[in-house]
Amino acid sequence: MDVPHYTVTVARDLEDLIPAFMSNRRKELDTLRVALAAADFEQLRQLGHRMKGVGNSYGFSHVSTLGKHIEEGARSGDRAALEARIGEYAEYLAKVQIVFE
Amino acid sequence: MTAPDRVSAPSFKVLVVDDDPDMQRLLALMIRAEGMQADTADDGDAALERAALTPPDLILLDVMLPGIDGFTVCERLKRNPATAMIPIVLITGLEDRASRVRGIRAGADDFLSKPVQREELLARVHTLRRLHETRRELEENRKETLRRTFDRYLSPRLVGSIMADLEAGISPFERTPQRVDVVVLFADLRGFTRLTERTQVDGVVALLNEYFEVLTEAAYRHDGTIFSMAGDNLLVGFNVPFPQPEAAALAWRAAHDMAASARPVLERWAGRGMTTGVGFGLASGDVILGNIGSSHYMNYTIIGDAVNVAARLVELAQPGELLVSGTVLKAAGQKAEGRGMLPLRGRSEPVDVYSVML
Repeated sequence: MDVPHYTVTVARDLEDLIPAFMSNRRKELDTLRVALAAADFEQLRQLGHRMKGVGNSYGFSHVSTLGKHIEEGARSGDRAALEARIGEYAEYLAKVQIVFE
Repeated sequence: MTAPDRVSAPSFKVLVVDDDPDMQRLLALMIRAEGMQADTADDGDAALERAALTPPDLILLDVMLPGIDGFTVCERLKRNPATAMIPIVLITGLEDRASRVRGIRAGADDFLSKPVQREELLARVHTLRRLHETRRELEENRKETLRRTFDRYLSPRLVGSIMADLEAGISPFERTPQRVDVVVLFADLRGFTRLTERTQVDGVVALLNEYFEVLTEAAYRHDGTIFSMAGDNLLVGFNVPFPQPEAAALAWRAAHDMAASARPVLERWAGRGMTTGVGFGLASGDVILGNIGSSHYMNYTIIGDAVNVAARLVELAQPGELLVSGTVLKAAGQKAEGRGMLPLRGRSEPVDVYSVML
């Protein structure tokens, strides 16, 4: 597993988009938890796929990495791995610092 | 990206189709930051509707959409002649080779991977924009060439009608002939054939060109449509191909303008020992308008009684005289000297004819 970078540098002109982006990530985390509790692997796969696409588009490479692992975990039905990744996601969202330049 | 490119871009419209609001906002922002316009759609149906209503210059289309997916949207847009030329960039997963193959089959012009890299997005958009603008420029040049070609033979109004038909995918030469009420004006150079017997061929052509130049300009000034130039004879129609409520008045004024415009030319000829004058015939009535001829040779022309009457009147007209049917005179709200009911060759009924010297 990659070491997460808790400091993310984002282009200055994306600054206005970041509050909504972060809010959606937190909602995503809640949805991931609900889906895991319900063992809804298809939804987990879709959420992981979306994280993979959107994360690094904004410069949050670790969101994409976690998304990839969640998508793979959902495909294989690996509940323990999914639980670990979702936990990592929660920690990441709690700690991440954003620098605009 | 250089400043002049940014300045030249504002009219370029990009439609961003993505159901993920974060991706949609990000792509739209990147496009707008380059000075281009960005519109957005959340699903395939909205994208198709938007593209049909206000066609964009380029579409960024995510493949995974709720409802109809991006491939289907791409296929439908490429099947529709109205949207087929819009470049489409399909947005797929980074390692999704199968989607790219499917996208090529659906007619996508280019691909972009998620996560989206700004430089890659802009490079693709700018390349497609340049291609799109080059294509549009070529299309405009083609139209201009066509317009210039037609302009030599047809009135500007008729050229406009033909160009509109072509843009709508209708061949102007496949139009169904129709019956229309037309005001017909004939102009004829009196005694010109006799003059040509004493003039070199090059000289005759130069004289006719000089004469037709001023007459056609006068006809166009009054929105007439020239249907034929045969020898020294000019046939102009009014109320065709577009309705002209004041057609009789336009034709009346056109005849006066043509006579006035031809006067300096005729005076120059007289100075060289060639004395001639122009006679005019003016009549109206139902005619058949259409492309008449064979598959090898066609004329956009009018045929019918009004053409025959105007032709007979111009035969009878003296140099500088306009012979006009009573119907046209009344419709034009003008007065002229009555010549009575004249029998005309090839016509069973006589025609109420009036005369005016121009």
